[in-house]
Amino acid sequence: MKNAFLKSTLLAEFLEALRRFGVLHGPTVSDDGVASFAPISDASPLRLDYGRTLIPPKKYLIPFREEILKLHDGIYHPAAPLAQDMVLFGVHPCDLEGIAYLDRVFLADRPDPCYAARRARLTLVGISCEPDDFCFCSVPPGTAPCDLYLTALADGFLLDALTPKGEAITQAARELLTKAAPQPPACRASCTIEPQDPQLRFSDNPLWDRFAQLCLACGACSVCCPTCYCFDVREYPNLAGDGVRLREWDNCLFKTHGEVAGANFRATRLERLRYRFLHKYCGFSPLEGVVSCVGCGRCRSACPVDIDLRELIETGKNPGGEPA
Amino acid sequence: MNDAASDMQLPHGAILLDRRELSPDTALFRVAPEASSLRALSRFTPGQFIQLSVPGAGEIPISPADLPGADGTLELCVRRVGHVTELLHAAKPGQRLGLRGPFGTGFPIREMVGSPVLLLAGGLGIAPLRSLLYHLLRHRDDFGEVTLMYGARQPELMLFREELVGLAAKGELRLYLTVDFAPQEPAGNFSCAVGLLPDLLKGFSFDAGRSYAAICGPPALYRCLVGDLEGAGVEARRILISLERRMRCGIGRCCHCAVGQKLCCTDGPVFRLSDLEQIPEAL
Repeated sequence: MKNAFLKSTLLAEFLEALRRFGVLHGPTVSDDGVASFAPISDASPLRLDYGRTLIPPKKYLIPFREEILKLHDGIYHPAAPLAQDMVLFGVHPCDLEGIAYLDRVFLADRPDPCYAARRARLTLVGISCEPDDFCFCSVPPGTAPCDLYLTALADGFLLDALTPKGEAITQAARELLTKAAPQPPACRASCTIEPQDPQLRFSDNPLWDRFAQLCLACGACSVCCPTCYCFDVREYPNLAGDGVRLREWDNCLFKTHGEVAGANFRATRLERLRYRFLHKYCGFSPLEGVVSCVGCGRCRSACPVDIDLRELIETGKNPGGEPA
Repeated sequence: MNDAASDMQLPHGAILLDRRELSPDTALFRVAPEASSLRALSRFTPGQFIQLSVPGAGEIPISPADLPGADGTLELCVRRVGHVTELLHAAKPGQRLGLRGPFGTGFPIREMVGSPVLLLAGGLGIAPLRSLLYHLLRHRDDFGEVTLMYGARQPELMLFREELVGLAAKGELRLYLTVDFAPQEPAGNFSCAVGLLPDLLKGFSFDAGRSYAAICGPPALYRCLVGDLEGAGVEARRILISLERRMRCGIGRCCHCAVGQKLCCTDGPVFRLSDLEQIPEAL
């Protein structure tokens, strides 16, 4: 169905139709004002005017902690990933871009079984947004990778089905949809960050030292980053002699991240900030040259000491210039 | 689950056969992998690593100290230094272990054919180089002169000493040993130099232009040696360095082992110096 239009007044019915495709999650705001993706029981807790959730939707694909192996009688067995059919509704283009990046990490070349199982059962419904002061979107308009994309208009939403799953949703909800006049693609500010020269991490920019002195190594920028996926692997035995092997989010700002027996390759905060810069703006093998910043603005808004690594890029462009 | 991907993070079974003490804190463990590992292990290249699981303790990356035997038996030289190695050292023969891999790149053994090879090992760094050494010796006619320079802190921490001396006595390699300190060496024991590896290298004359140099040891060792090797005329692309990082997953995902933009587990752990020159934090 081309140029399908959903009136705002029919949103609740539309959400009901979506439930046929899985458990419905979407943006909500808790009593203490924290925006998060959470289960949507009916239309009331859904908050489509949210700016950004504190934790990005990566939590659905790489849970904070998950069992990867079970140990029984000295033999390791794969843990069955806990995956369910899920519809994630109201995801902004930057977060969709973040999921697309994680797909490249976990699905290309020897797919990760836990990630693949969850991803296969996840339906993504994107929605257009209004960038705020923290955003630095790098997604060109109209390319958000999702199954169904909603462009918010004054009295409703324009629907774009981008995959067969998205088509199936518009089919299932066809009685709620009307035909809209063809619309020009939504335009909004877009600031694409180009892949950076890795040598920039050793630039003589005084910001490096300033950031290293300010940084609390709290790791908030990595926790809330939609494309940060570093994980640690831990094994926990139980008293019966069996146990589990877990993987859980790790954080490149933590001192333990670069530890080996008897040494630490990233013992200082300066080294860890360089590492972060390199991973975000230059990319690691095999995604060398791929920027993993999607411009969601979470790291800027979460950093307690106002570090913004992008300033290093902007001053890099104009040597001697002040950061923008 | 039998898809290739789940195999990547699922350890195969292995049995601890026996152990031989090499020093007060280091032992050589012989491990027999179950049949499911044999095909992968048959493709082992010296310098690659395996992930060894001690059930209930966790997993550690180890570079085998010899090529796998015909039956797949692995020799793993492990120092007791952390949680997993502590429990491995406490394990009895017959204990079940787990095994993944081999992973990573090894030494470019095909390219090295016909060339003299200089092996430079510091401390536990002898382990990965021992598997390269045995590859060279088992294909002795394919390679030029083989020289091993091996430095340890003190004589009793020198690993595989009798074995290496025996090989040298048979004329299979040129062997230079050095220790940082030699408090009381009993008379009649094989003597070795006192000093650091770079001191040994200074007085050494070799066909540097045709040679490959393979280095493994603590980070300080690389920083000392690479300049001297280049100064002597060894090409940067022929200086092979086995790096140590904290490889957790072994398959390029967890991002603990990044060296610049490279990942030690998939792009390494053996790197050419020429590939590390733009990565100051590598060494």
